[in-house]
Amino acid sequence: MLIPAQIADDARPRLARGVRLQIDGTTGKSVLLFPEGILELNETAQEILTRCDGRPLSDIACALAEEYDVDLATLAADVREVLADLQRRKLVELA
Amino acid sequence: MTAPRPYALLAELTYRCPLHCPYCSNPARARNDAELTTAEWHRVLREATELGVLQVGFSGGEPLVRRDLAELVHGAREAKLYTNLITSGVGLDESRANELREAGLDSVQLSFQSDDVDLADEIAGVRAHQPKLAAASFIRAAGIPLSLNFVIHRRNIDRLPQMIGLAEALGAERVELANVQFYGWAFLNRAALLPTREQVARAREVATAAKARLAGKIDIFYVLPDYYETRPKPCLNGWGQRYLTVNPIGDVLPCPTASSAIPDLHFENVRARSLDWIWRQSESFNRFRGTEWMPEPCRSCPQKEIDFGGCRCQAALLTGSAANTDPVCSLSPNRVRVDAVLRDLNPSIVGAFDWMPRVNPNKEAAATLDREVTR
Repeated sequence: MLIPAQIADDARPRLARGVRLQIDGTTGKSVLLFPEGILELNETAQEILTRCDGRPLSDIACALAEEYDVDLATLAADVREVLADLQRRKLVELA
Repeated sequence: MTAPRPYALLAELTYRCPLHCPYCSNPARARNDAELTTAEWHRVLREATELGVLQVGFSGGEPLVRRDLAELVHGAREAKLYTNLITSGVGLDESRANELREAGLDSVQLSFQSDDVDLADEIAGVRAHQPKLAAASFIRAAGIPLSLNFVIHRRNIDRLPQMIGLAEALGAERVELANVQFYGWAFLNRAALLPTREQVARAREVATAAKARLAGKIDIFYVLPDYYETRPKPCLNGWGQRYLTVNPIGDVLPCPTASSAIPDLHFENVRARSLDWIWRQSESFNRFRGTEWMPEPCRSCPQKEIDFGGCRCQAALLTGSAANTDPVCSLSPNRVRVDAVLRDLNPSIVGAFDWMPRVNPNKEAAATLDREVTR
């Protein structure tokens, strides 16, 4: 399967099956847990993933742009990049 | 050095297993003490979480042999652990799969010996292939993510494309193609299991191509045959750094193979000590922690924080001392020992008659085994 060059605005990202988002009790940071793997999330990734609840990518970008008072185009590009990376690693699925 | 926090616990629930694979990860001679009880495992799981562990792998032997498996999975989930079941699939019917899902099981790693039923059953020493196929469908139906694990060796390495095909057909999300590593039973059966250089070269090409072809669909994890490498594997990401194993009788090991490979190391038991004390204070976890223990050529090597001197068990098995550089490293003065094994490889040794099937603890010819171990 080829990964599309760019994730569409109306794509609805969500955690892939078998992937859990959790707070690491030792560090207080968010981690993704999956078969044979643990990924410590940076703040950007954490903010994006906690919003991957079935809403489209454009809504996630809007919400974050508003909350952090950043330019929407820049933010949408960041969101796409993070999600594309996680999708390649099979940690995120697009519906 | 001070102890870091561990990330993953391997919980070996039992040494019992209906299969008899010649590369079994059980120790070749297991102590015959009573297995940890349900309550003892619950305590171990809680202590592991307190120590920082985020993931637990329930393994064996065959963990399905334990009737309290779902209870243990539930306990692990209560402790906020991510739960993996590492199983042969034999004994997994529809109701058991659903029971495990209800308990909160996060993922299953299902082992296969081959894609071909006859070869698979020959390797397992029992008719296990059909039940495994059924188990895969029960896992899928229960909606639990599925990984397929293959141990790769001389007999099945040429079927890598077909084995990857099986993973596709069964809808696996992940495939582990692990070249056999020579410890325990596999060390005893090395002459029949070690692939040839040509086989290894082809397998690497197949795995690389499949990885590219299936990107985004199936995650392929290829474990290198380290005898054919020139630098050692970064075993465990360093001794006592990220992983710990609790074996069926409660011994706590920095590495699952250490109990048989390093006979002069004394392991602490969860029946006598807390997991926290064992992880931080015990001699067994501290002996090879960090880089202070390293001899040359590791001590002055720029790679020492990358491969951590390789594998302590392999050093012990091949050089007689666990404190030596892993002899797989071409800088090791003991590399000649690995080269000698590769040079003496006899590719005509290929069949079940040429290896010793694993025996269950307590059973069958312990005397035969003693002869094999000491020969």
